[in-house]
Amino acid sequence: MTQESSRSVSRALRGRMKVRIEEMSDDALYSYLAEAVYLERQRLLKSTDATAEEERAAVESAARAIHEGRAEMIEAVLAMTRTYAHEIHNRFSERTYEVATKLLPGALTRLLSAAGPKTALGPDFDPGSRIAVHGPVDMLRQLAETHTLVLAPTHVSNLDSPVIGYALYQTGLPPFIYGAGLNLFDNPAMSFFMSRLGAYTVDRRKRHRVYKDVLKDYSTERIGRGAHSLFFPGGTRCRSGKIETRLKRGLLGTAIQAWQEGLQAEGEGREILVVPCTLSFSLVLEAETLIEDSLSEQGKARYIISDDEFSEPTTVYHFARKVLNLDASVHVRFGAPLDLLGNPVDAQGCSLDPGGQPFERRAYVMTEGGDVVADPQRDKVYTNHLATALSHAYQRDHTVLSTQVVARAAWDCLTMRYPRLDTYQQVLLAPHEQWVDREVLLTRLREWLDQIDRLTEAGALHQALPKGEGERAELVLTEAVERFSSYHSRPAVAHEDWRILVDPKLALYYGNRLAGVPAPEVKR
Amino acid sequence: MNVGIIGSGAWGKALATLVARAGHQPRIGYRRNPPGGIPGTPNLDTLVAESDLTILSVPSDAVESVIRQCKPGAESRMVIATRGLQPETGEWLSDLVVSLSPCRRVGSLAGPALAAEVVRNRPSGMVIASPFDEVCTLTQDALHSAICRVYTSNDMRGVELAGAMVLVLSMAVGITVGLDLGIGSRGIVITRGIAEATRLGAALGAHPQTFAGLAGVGDLVSCASHKDHPSFAAGLALARGARCPERFQRDAQSVIRLAQRSEVDLPLTSAVAAIATGELRPKLAFDALMRREARAE
Repeated sequence: MTQESSRSVSRALRGRMKVRIEEMSDDALYSYLAEAVYLERQRLLKSTDATAEEERAAVESAARAIHEGRAEMIEAVLAMTRTYAHEIHNRFSERTYEVATKLLPGALTRLLSAAGPKTALGPDFDPGSRIAVHGPVDMLRQLAETHTLVLAPTHVSNLDSPVIGYALYQTGLPPFIYGAGLNLFDNPAMSFFMSRLGAYTVDRRKRHRVYKDVLKDYSTERIGRGAHSLFFPGGTRCRSGKIETRLKRGLLGTAIQAWQEGLQAEGEGREILVVPCTLSFSLVLEAETLIEDSLSEQGKARYIISDDEFSEPTTVYHFARKVLNLDASVHVRFGAPLDLLGNPVDAQGCSLDPGGQPFERRAYVMTEGGDVVADPQRDKVYTNHLATALSHAYQRDHTVLSTQVVARAAWDCLTMRYPRLDTYQQVLLAPHEQWVDREVLLTRLREWLDQIDRLTEAGALHQALPKGEGERAELVLTEAVERFSSYHSRPAVAHEDWRILVDPKLALYYGNRLAGVPAPEVKR
Repeated sequence: MNVGIIGSGAWGKALATLVARAGHQPRIGYRRNPPGGIPGTPNLDTLVAESDLTILSVPSDAVESVIRQCKPGAESRMVIATRGLQPETGEWLSDLVVSLSPCRRVGSLAGPALAAEVVRNRPSGMVIASPFDEVCTLTQDALHSAICRVYTSNDMRGVELAGAMVLVLSMAVGITVGLDLGIGSRGIVITRGIAEATRLGAALGAHPQTFAGLAGVGDLVSCASHKDHPSFAAGLALARGARCPERFQRDAQSVIRLAQRSEVDLPLTSAVAAIATGELRPKLAFDALMRREARAE
């Protein structure tokens, strides 16, 4: 984005905010600004950021405006908008992207070795054999030329962004802009690449409506200008390890607004499509912190976890070396593209009805005469339909890996051993209780593998489980045990003679990836 | 406003009467019997395409075939004015519109409005529920008049479930009348039946207040007081030894299937289902209900 277009986006955001606040009554405007002042004061009380003083001065200036008059309040909100627009903008550059992506395998290597020992992973390191990319990529490449795409991936780890970035590069898909939490920019290597590969900053500490509206307006504006965009509809990394089912509609809804604005501009805007994307990791960098957070009572308060494994560069390095040294340890699956209400589309981007026939989707928002009917309430419900279609796609497109199914089988075996314990009691089993019989585990694992096979055949799931000589369950168990032992200090599952040791929390975390899959009956 | 009504039975014609009284143009779509006296067409897809709003008033087991025939599009607004669930699966009737067509703007209409009374200008009331405010206000506009009050709600699931439960519970009231269990037993069945509906509704994300409203208590009181209402009459006949017609068995079983999936216990509804399928005799079933363990309300 050039400086000129940066200025034009900033102007556009102030224009949108002006329209919004001019429609507000005096009381509503007062409440809008007062909420921002209050929450910013709360946030800045404990802030030690370098910019804190400057921010406090700006907030106090807004506070004074509240007591002056409507014109002053409008000016204060617009001043905030200008500041936030500047903060959110990225320094995305097409030229830099091209250069960076050509060097990406090397860049990824440098990323991983930047914060630790200088030894690179070696010039022969090929992420292509570690990160498997699936899906209708030819179709998506074609659609990207004539449509604006919104990529909606599941969110597992803070490493999702570089992994997806690699997958986009490898498949020849164009650059995507995406909102990255401000805290992620603390990691210098990530900051360098993220801002150059399309990341704009999202400060989740700012919880007031002014900021959220500027963020949504930014998304609407950029999509409307044809920028392919990426949102994580789950909002944050899923703490429990489950595939997200409750999706946030805020940013998803900006796509439908951008679409209508494009239609209103006499069809000058490009049509917008949504692409679900599922990520499946053999091992998850932050698994221990995430599950701990999910289980602890403080989980909800710690929405932004900044002191987890990702914030330790050495940990990231070790993880990346170990995980990315494992064949096909990460699977990225692009799903079939959808329109903004979740209907499937054909290769030309036309919406298809349940019978596979094309239909005119503009009729959802336009009259026969071609007038767009603005109805934000209707659009919220439409976005709900999109969210439902996405969560179905996430389940259907998930790739089951050995660590997930073995962890799940191990968790089931613990439940069978301790039937009176609930989840919170089971994760607190004493160390001497944290084991299952190897044969019992293999039996349960076979039941799961049969179930996964049935679902895969029915097109309801995918799998990337080991095949080869030997009994399948044994192969899967062996691979999972090897993988778990390569990273976690206390593996989710480990061999000890005739027993399998189980770390219940990690077993719960990894096994939760199959929470949406109907569990096979226990045949005893 | 052009309002299409699919279904030329008594209820379809009553709806057409209400539309005309509200100052709009009704047209009835029919498959077999022309409506007589009201503009009608057998071309259901044309009717839907030319209507600003379409109301479906056909039996629950005909909803799927009608949707396939009338082919609502992205521009359509469809309102289901049929009580019940999908007979085979216990799923929502409104989901059929979404799963079989691109139409998303769907609503459900229910309440104590009896066809015979509507055509005689007696006061009636209904609730239109849809997640879309637009569908609610359009339907309200299409039907509301000095003799019919139409209220709006966003709790479509609640209204659909209430309608399905009313069918079963009015059968239950019919059974108590047929068994001559007394006036008090009607009160018990209505109250405890609505409690079961509320419990199931809450488990499914519906608003509890919906069941205390027009689609719940309102509709049940009117159906259970109307000796010719089909469900009530079926209950009456069951109590007197008649065999239960299959459609009423399906009504009860579809609710039970939904309750089982949600792991909600519905003793009264289960008893009615068992009576309808002949598994239990009516008197024994009600005796068993009265002998259940005492508990708080």
